Amino acid sequence: MARKKRLVIIPAFNEAGNIIKTVEDIRANAPSFDYVIINDASKDDTARLCEKAAYNVIHLPINSGIGAAVQAGYLYAKRYGYECVVQVDGDGQHEATFLTEMAEELESSGANMIIGSRFLEKEGFQSTGLRRIGIKWFSFLIRVLTGKTITDPTSGMRMVNRDVINFFAEEYPKDYPEPETAITLLRLGYTINEIPVRMKERADGKSSISFKRAVYYMFKVTLACALARFALEPFPPEKFVTQYYGGENP
Amino acid sequence: MSFKLQIFIAVITVIALLYIGNKVRNRVIELKYALVWFFVAILFLILDIFPNILQWLSQLLGIVLPVNMLMFFGFGFILLILYTFTVVLTNQDRRIKRLIQEEALLAYRVDELERELQKKDFKVRRLKTRTADGGPEHKVKIIKKNTEESK
Repeated sequence: MARKKRLVIIPAFNEAGNIIKTVEDIRANAPSFDYVIINDASKDDTARLCEKAAYNVIHLPINSGIGAAVQAGYLYAKRYGYECVVQVDGDGQHEATFLTEMAEELESSGANMIIGSRFLEKEGFQSTGLRRIGIKWFSFLIRVLTGKTITDPTSGMRMVNRDVINFFAEEYPKDYPEPETAITLLRLGYTINEIPVRMKERADGKSSISFKRAVYYMFKVTLACALARFALEPFPPEKFVTQYYGGENP
Repeated sequence: MSFKLQIFIAVITVIALLYIGNKVRNRVIELKYALVWFFVAILFLILDIFPNILQWLSQLLGIVLPVNMLMFFGFGFILLILYTFTVVLTNQDRRIKRLIQEEALLAYRVDELERELQKKDFKVRRLKTRTADGGPEHKVKIIKKNTEESK
């Protein structure tokens, strides 16, 4: 398989209804990207659909949660020598058309991470009342803790270069990583740029952050942000495990 | 602390020690994780056998009954044990996660290599059919060689 330099990670847990649409959207609208689906031991038809369509899919043997699944994607990107990785959620909120633009910005600006921000040009779906207050809070927190301004700290559209790929392959939060990793990276001297993107309202109208989880989310992420202020470099990878499978030499 | 209570605590602690020791012998508990239990039990025994230490400590901290000091220690020890378990749990969590990811990537790699092998076989077959159609000569030669060798 001839590999490109850019990769989209698609974590999938019980996404049988969305997975084909998501992959086809990427194939059609972001042709300079490879993609990899990380099937987190889905209980529905996800695995069968992916195999039937001959999609590029990695099956986790045991359900391990979103963080571990995405991290498996970063590990994959590291092993196969990708230079630019973005994560796309299976809910159709992110438009693949912006990916190329983000990748060009990543390559030309030399930043380590590009965040697609809904609020730079205030276009498209702007999120709803309470959630926007949460976003403002994390934006404020990041400004206090790092001195940098990130207008959309909870945006899932985050594209990273090889340095951060290697970082995430070793160290990635279990869940809700966005604001936390932004602070960790800024504290360790990586650079983050934002570019304006449009997002759609999610198709099925259900966020992974329900009201029930909102309290957990606010508490956990705020604490994680505060701790990330004192972040350390990740442990060096275990030597005997780290192999290199293909692509250009890293 | 009454002598009766002292005996009672000593007996219970010794039974617990023997029980955990036996579990380690049976390989039910890993010695590494039993160490903290042994440590706590032996400290408890020392405090029980020499109540003067407790008396002195409780006077120092302004606790009226020495037995309450023992309770306080017990509580502290439980927190200590729970802490060590949290550390172990976190460590295991990381390792299991990485094992799952490695297993998944290796399975993917095996699949990929198998597909590559199949593709090579397939190419050989396609080249065979091409020879019938009159493909490039050097390739034909290779195919002939291969087919001769396989015969």
